[in-house]
Parts: sequence; structure tokens; C-alpha cells
Amino acid sequence: MKVSLSWLKDYVRIETDIHDLTSALTMAGLEVESIADPFDYLEKVVVGRIIEIKPHPNAGNLKICRVDAGDRILQVVCGAPNVKENLLAPLALPGTVLPDGSLLAECEIRGQTSEGMLCSERELELGEDGSGIMVLPGNLQAGCNIARAIGLSDYVLEIGLTPNRSDCLSVIGIAREIAAIQKFKIKYPDVRRPGKNKEIFDFTSVKIEAPEHCPRYAAALVADITVAPSPFWLRKRLISVGQRPINNIVDITNFIMLECGQPLHAFDFDLLAENRIVVRTATKGETFITLDRKERTLDPDMLMICDGKKPAAIAGVMGGLNSEIGSSTKRVLIESAYFNPLSIRKTSKKTGLSTEASYRFERGVDPGGTVKALVRAAGLVTEIGKGKSIKGIIDEYPLIQKTETIELSISATGRVLGTELDKSTIKSLLESIEFKVKNSGADTIKVTPPSFRVDIARPVDLMEEAARLYGYNRIPASLPLMQSETTQPLKTLALRENIKNIMTGLSFTETVNYSFICESSCDRLNLSSDDPKRRLLHVLNPLTEEQNVMRTSLVPGLLETMHRNLSQQTRNLNIFETGKMFLSKGNESLPEEIEMAAGLMTGGRYSQSWYENDADCDFYDIKGAVEGLLAGLNIDNVRFTKMPVELCSYTRYGYSAQIIAENKTIGIIGEVHPEVLGNFDLKQKAFIFELNCNTVLSLSGRDKTAGQLPKFPASTRDITIITDKNIEAMSVLEKINSIGEKLIENTHLFDIFEGASIPAGKRSVSIRITYRSSEKTLEDGEVNNIHKNITDRLTMEFGASLPV
Amino acid sequence: MEKTIDQICADALKEIETAKSKDSLNAVSLKYLSRKGIVTQFLRSISKLPPEERPKAGERANETKRLLEKAVEDAINSLDARSPAADSFIDVSLPGRSALPGSLHPITQITRQICDIFTRMGFDIAEGPEVESDYYNFEALNIPKYHPARDMQDTFYVSDNIVLRTHTSPIQVRVMEKRKPPLKVIAPGKVYRSDSDITHTPMFHQVEGLMVGENISFGNLKGILSNFVHLMFDEKTSLRFRPSFFPFTEPSAEVDILCVMCRGKGCRVCSHTGWLEVLGAGMVHPAVFENVGYDTSRITGFAFGMGVERITMLKYGIDDIRKFFENDFRFLRQF
Repeated sequence: MKVSLSWLKDYVRIETDIHDLTSALTMAGLEVESIADPFDYLEKVVVGRIIEIKPHPNAGNLKICRVDAGDRILQVVCGAPNVKENLLAPLALPGTVLPDGSLLAECEIRGQTSEGMLCSERELELGEDGSGIMVLPGNLQAGCNIARAIGLSDYVLEIGLTPNRSDCLSVIGIAREIAAIQKFKIKYPDVRRPGKNKEIFDFTSVKIEAPEHCPRYAAALVADITVAPSPFWLRKRLISVGQRPINNIVDITNFIMLECGQPLHAFDFDLLAENRIVVRTATKGETFITLDRKERTLDPDMLMICDGKKPAAIAGVMGGLNSEIGSSTKRVLIESAYFNPLSIRKTSKKTGLSTEASYRFERGVDPGGTVKALVRAAGLVTEIGKGKSIKGIIDEYPLIQKTETIELSISATGRVLGTELDKSTIKSLLESIEFKVKNSGADTIKVTPPSFRVDIARPVDLMEEAARLYGYNRIPASLPLMQSETTQPLKTLALRENIKNIMTGLSFTETVNYSFICESSCDRLNLSSDDPKRRLLHVLNPLTEEQNVMRTSLVPGLLETMHRNLSQQTRNLNIFETGKMFLSKGNESLPEEIEMAAGLMTGGRYSQSWYENDADCDFYDIKGAVEGLLAGLNIDNVRFTKMPVELCSYTRYGYSAQIIAENKTIGIIGEVHPEVLGNFDLKQKAFIFELNCNTVLSLSGRDKTAGQLPKFPASTRDITIITDKNIEAMSVLEKINSIGEKLIENTHLFDIFEGASIPAGKRSVSIRITYRSSEKTLEDGEVNNIHKNITDRLTMEFGASLPV
Repeated sequence: MEKTIDQICADALKEIETAKSKDSLNAVSLKYLSRKGIVTQFLRSISKLPPEERPKAGERANETKRLLEKAVEDAINSLDARSPAADSFIDVSLPGRSALPGSLHPITQITRQICDIFTRMGFDIAEGPEVESDYYNFEALNIPKYHPARDMQDTFYVSDNIVLRTHTSPIQVRVMEKRKPPLKVIAPGKVYRSDSDITHTPMFHQVEGLMVGENISFGNLKGILSNFVHLMFDEKTSLRFRPSFFPFTEPSAEVDILCVMCRGKGCRVCSHTGWLEVLGAGMVHPAVFENVGYDTSRITGFAFGMGVERITMLKYGIDDIRKFFENDFRFLRQF
């Protein structure tokens, strides 16, 4: 909402400095977002007096003017037909940026220097007239800044209004607040009550067929008007707040709307069939051309202002082309109505049309101000349009809008605000904004808000009014005394934070990627047509097609982050993310939200260093990280089993695994499939893991009970067997453990070797077994026997041989 | 024979003891332990002994060899320790072998700081779904369909009745449906709004707070939030409360803090106002209590909400909110 200081001064005395004023408004809840001078572009435009005119030697239609610019005389080339000696006109000096964006500089026009430019109204955006230079009143001083000379210089405040304050969508509304803050009285414009004479009924009628959409409709009629440009004062008002003047009639309706918040509409009365108004809802499929020359298809929820035969306006939103005010308009019917806010909002949403009028109607205009605005407008139209007012107005008001009286407890107000405000303080605060207050009990008052405060419905609303005018900052801060139950910390949160701590400890850096991804990510991940990750939840109104579905995996985000970093020449990445993935259960229900943790490694294992040769990371690097993570989370007995081909669409078959704990698959790990890398335009290997945190949470985890520390020494024995390459090393360990030998304390794989001395297709697997008894020191012979048995079992079980 | 090895041992130890320099110790080592050294020679001579004496003699000789080796090493070490020699050192400036830790995303770091402050004040943490029903995101919070307040938040829709939550406020309602007052809860999480520029991203993070009970006042809201701001920034950061509007609070306030960049003098960050808007807050609207079945004659409460990105940008001097989600490693590693 824009409002100019000079306009405000029409209704309220303002003596404070502009900055104090704006800060007071802000602290009363009307946040002033900016202060600007709307005419500051006129800074280098001065009043110029034409003192001599000579023809241009090289162009018949141009003249050379000598113009008095106050401190000097300039030569200006001008083509306007109305230049005359002694005429005062706006002179734009070099350096002026004209409203069309062009920068004025001294130049040569057909061989003659022009040291400035004499401007028309249109060139300076002070009016529509572009036919000649703007003629200024003769009493002005040459050389004066034009904005100051004709009273344009002003402050315009841009106020960020909250949706509840529809009463402030007008200059008077803001003036009212200033009056309350400064404790001055507001001066409303004089509006005479309509007389008894109802001559208007001889000409027209209003019929409301849909009172629930249109509780009140008032109309006035003015005849014999002349449509013309508005007088300067009116144009100035509109321009100062960014409205473009159109013609006197339309400008008056806009002016009244800006002044008092009541949107009005003017119809060309002679274009209304049967010269009457019918307010009804549209019929399905009816079409209508609005003022912006677009055809609209209507539906039965939309309220229309019609004449005897057809729609003439979409009520409260936009008028129709068929009854537009034009230069030949002679009689105007002015509409001032109170429409149901919900009805207007629905129509505005459905048509996609949001106008100054609909904006106000949907927030609620003053149902008690309908007639006042109408009478004021009709008076101005008569005066400025040089017309003849038809006596009387029509005011159809089938659904009276009542203002409820609210009882307010003084002590409750104190309790809610946390400070004692006495009755008289509250009373005077509320009265300062025109609320009517009556005593109704020792602790209570009865408050009737004015009809323009449609946002006031409950005692708390009154408490807020009292508090904001009293000043929020005068309410003392205090700490509450309260006992409340403390609940167990959230397990999901604890796990997530734990994962973040462990992963950063493992050299991984946390990323946060958008929860929405591109639908095509599924194809780029090579997901099969029946993959559950294709259960996509679509966003109906995404900002871009790149973000049109909710993610069903954290992997696309990580791959895209990798891509962005590679393009910044960051080649080595260890990154992870925790967050939700979303599996759709149809658009009408909430999706399944699954908390995930995922990580990605790519590039060098170490950056090249003095102690280590450069090497790229591989599967075992990320596996080590995951093992570290799971160990940190107290999850034991994790198995990594070969990923079945049908389960690994985006990891490389043979180079990826399922992560299993307590017989549940808790995640996957592996090298990203080369095709998928290609799909994401990635040119180096990457390794990923994904863990389902919901499943991890369902694991029982390691039992933390202290055991006895061993008293007797352990004996270790190594064993190396040569097996087929496709026998998983861990299955050898599992075999040893499954034998159930009680003296085995630990088994540890310490070497794998292929090549040279080992036959092709085979490899050696070396395991160190730790034996220990809790009762005695083991003797060599005993251990050797057990170890030999185990060796024999392994060679038999795996068809293995012993090294030569 | 045994006597000889013992003699050798005693001689050697005496020489080690009297050696004053590394060079003389090396000379002792050479004399006794090298390939042609006395102990080595002795070991070789064992093969000439009668077979039954060999094991014992061998064992004894080996023992002596180990003992002397250790004695020389210890002597060198203790010499080093006492008087560092110019030729015995390591380059301590070389980087260590251990891997450096990764870094937590700045949003995580600040969310933790915020949550820590409130949990220390006794608040529980609650979470909720990111895809929400229209009811929890709007209706229950006193924002009916077609209410102009819906324009305050540009909403991503999944369908007419399902949205991506535009704030973490739905968690308020979910918590109050499950628990009876009194309660103190904060709700951190991701939220979504269809907006994108230098100060807006379509996804960002909020922390919502709620305190409900008997006699909870606007003054209490000021107290708790002042406490928070002083802990999050510093004691000198003053606050101001401005009247505002949120459909689910009444009275409502915007909370500004003194600009942390210019300390109120006015700068680019605070648009020359000296103040920064960091929180929205207010007393819970009775309509919200009615929706969860609380007794509005007895129960009052306050709620507040803040954008984590905004606070993080102020704390770390980040000028473009989009950087948080570009995940440029060079950016992330600064925190």
C-alpha cells in the first residue's frame, strides 16, 4: 500500500519528522517498508522560460529556442507546435533520466546544438498529453526545480500491510492510525447525506438476486458529463502512488478507492440494456469480455453485475468492455457495493484476475461506508465531469452486516499480556481508534468496533489493539513459571544427529539437497518400471520441471552435488546427507516418509601426500566408512551380501552389496553403475551407500553389559588356504565361527593374495585365529590340535588346498 | 666356556656404561655385535662344543647378544634424550597421517545451537511430516480455505488437500492433539514455499516453538525470546517487538534484533534500519486451542517461529541463501 505524505495531510495534522512518523507507524503494526519521492526523476528538470524563437536553418518543422534556465540561457531545439515566446515549460537538463529510461545529453540536432529538452506532459509522465510541450503557470520562477515549483515533491510511504488490516488499504485508514498515534483528530472529507428526493428511481433500478454474494449494492447516476483528462491535482494524487490517470470519471473512482478503501465502478449508463442493474451469479459456460479485452468463461459461483439482459462486470473484480466509459459517455452509473469477501476471492482465484478492487473486497471493505463513498464520488463526478447529478441514490441492503459487541475482561487482558493495564487506559486506547467502549462490570467493558474493523471478532483481538497502541515494547519481559512433563528424546532425531557426528568423524562432509528432484531422475537411475522408487509424489505447481517430484532416494541429489563440484574442479569428495524420501500412496493421502542416510565417495582416497601414493578410492573405502558408522551406532553382526542383479539398477552388478543386520536389509552399498554415471554426466567413478534409518531404528543393537576381562593369555595361530576366487572370504570366517569351537575367541582376516605362485582362478585367504580359555593357560599341543581340525574342515568344505 | 661368555658380557656392559658419545657406543656395538664381533664369533664357536653342551651355550650366547643390543640402544636413546644431536630429528612440520574430520552443514550447526538453547530451557523437540494435509498446515491453524492469509505463503500443492508444509507450525497442532498442557516444545524441520531468489529458496528450515499452560503471557514470550537471542547472539543484542499478524496467533508480533552487523547504525544488511527481522511470534489464537480441544478459559500459550537460514546467514556472514543447497565443497568446508 502506497500513500503520500501530502495526501495524508489532507486528513490529519502531521508535525513530526518523516522518520519519526514512519517508525511510529511501524511500531503500531503498519510496517513502513520504504520511503521514496515518486518524482525524484524530475531532479534535473527545471522551469524554463522561452525567450526567443528562431526557425531551424536545416529543418522546417524544428525551431531553435533560447530558454532561460534561471542561472543561464540555453539553446534548445524543439519541434512542438505550441512553443511561444514567454511561455513557461519544463526544461529537462542534460543528465535527466526520462521515465522511458533514456538519458538526456547535450546533442546536435540537424547541425544545431541542443542543450536541453522542452518536455510534454507525457514525456515526464505527468499526464497523457503528448501533443505539445507542457504549459506551466506563468507565475513560476525560471530555473526552479519543476517538482518543487508545482508541488510535486513528496514522500511516498510503502506500507507492508498484513492481511487483517483491510481498513488501512486507504489513505484515510492510514491517517486514522496516525491520528490515534499522535492523539490528533482526523478530519474526514465532507459528505452530505443523500436527500429525500429519489429522482434516480425514474431512471434505473437495482435488483440483487444473490444477497449472500452481495449483501449491499448502492448506485448513483450523473447525467450530461464530459469525459476528459482529470484536473492536475487529481492526476498528481494518482501518479504519486503509482496509478496511471485515464480519464476524469475512471480517475475519480480510483481516487475514492484510494482515499477511503471502497472500490467503485462506473458504467456507461446508456450502454446498460434496459438501463438497470441485476446482481446475479453467472450461468455455467457463459462468456464475458473484461476491460482488459480478454474473454472469460464464467461459472455459477461467480457473481456478475448485469444489465437487463447480459453481464456488464465481474462483481468486485473487473468491469466489462461492453459498458466501458469512453469519450462519448454522457451518463454514468456509479456502483458502490459490499460483496462477500469469500465470493470475490473465489472468483479472483478462478479467473486468475487480481485487481486493486478484488484485493480490497476479498479482505473486507467497510460495509458501513458504502453510501458515503458513493455520494462523495457522485459529487466529484458532477463537479469535475461538469455533469448534472440525478437526485437520490439507490441503496439495496438485503443482508445487514452487524458489528458484534465484545465483552472484554480487564484482568484477563492483564493475564494474557503479562502486564496490568487499567480500565481507563484500555478504554482510551480503544477509543482512539474509534471503538465504542461502555462499562459493563467491575472487571469488564463492552466494546463495539467500528464497521471498518472487520478483523475484530474476539476479546484477544481487542487485547492486541490495546497492546499495540500501548506499545509492545512497554510490556515487561518476564520468565514463565511452569512445570511440564519432559518426554523421551526423539529416537529418530537422536539417530540422525548420531549419524551426522560419526560421518563427519569419518571425514565425510554433510550436504543438504532439495527434497524435490526431477521426474526423469528415475530413468537416469535406470529404475525398472516396477521399482518402488517410482512411486513418485508429484508437486502440482513446481517452480521448475527440475523439481517436480519429491525424492524417492537421496542418491540423485548426491550425484548432482558431485556434478556441480566436479565442474568447480573439486575432484575428491566424501559427502553424506540425512533426510527423508517420500513414497507416494496416491495424491489424496500423505506419502510414506522414510528417513534415509546416504553417502558418496569419489576421486582420490587421499590427496597426494608425502606418506602415501595417490590412489583413487574404491568399494572398500566406502565400505570401511559404513562399517565405522554402523559400529559407532552399536550395530553388530552386519553382513554385506552380494547384491542380486534385479536389485541393483543404479549400482554396478558384481561391485555392490546389500547391508544386512538381524536378517533385515538396512541398506545398499556399491559402485555407481557406469550407465548411471553417464546419465548424470559424470566422468569418474563414484561409490555410494544408502541406509534406511527407520529399519536401523528397529534393530535391537548391541547389548551394553560389562563382561569379565580374560585372566589367561591367548594363543594365536595363522591359517592360509587357497580357494576358488568366487568363494567369499567372509564365508570362510563364518564357517570357522559356525564350527562352535568354544576356545576360539576371535577370527581375523589379514591377507588376500592372488597371482604369481597361486594358480589362476584361485587366491589365498589368510586368517588369524585367537584361542583362549577362561579357565587356564592353553597348551601348545591342545591349540595345535584344534587348529589342525579347523584347517582340515576348511580345506574339505571349500575344496581348498594349503600353500606349498 | 660359560665363564667366557659371562666375561664378555660384563666387559661389554662396562664399555657401554663408560661410552660418552654415540660414536663410541657404535664402536662398542661394532666390537661385540657386528659380523666379526666378539659375541658373533663366540656364537660361531658353539658348533665346536660337544653336542650336549651346545643348546645351553647357544641359548646363553643369544641371550647375551639381545641384552647387549638392548643396552646399546638404550644408551643411545638416553644420550639423545640428554643432549640432542644435530643429526637425530624428524620434520615435525610434515602433515600428520590422520584424516581430517568432515564438516557439518551450516544449517545443521545452527539448528543444533538453537535446539540446545531451548532444550536447556526445558523444551522438548518434536518433528512431523513434511508433506502435510491442508488441515494441519492451514485449517487447524485458523487459516481457512480462501482466506487472504493464504497469500502470505506461496504453497506447493500435491493435491487440493495435500501440501508441502509451508511452516513447521502443523507440528504444534499435532503435539497438542496428543498431549495435555502444560507443555514446552520446539519443532525444527524443512519447509517449502514456491519462491526463489537471493533471499528465498523453495526449501528452507524453520524452528517453531510452543509453550502452553495456565497464565502464560505475552511478557513470558518476550522473556523467553530475549533469553534465546542473548544466548544465540550476545547479551548486547537488543530486541524489539512489533505488532503484526499471523492467523494462528493473537496478539501477534514480529521480533527484530539490533543489526548484528552494524549494531544499529544502519547498513546494507539491515536495509539501513538498524534492525533485523528474525522471528515471528504471538499468543496462540483461541481458535487453534478450540481445534485441539483445549479449554481457552484456562489455557493460554505462545508460539514463535524462525528461519534457520536467516540466522545462519547472520551468524556466518553468508550473502546468498542459495549457497546452502548448492553444496559447493569449498563453501561447506568453511564451517
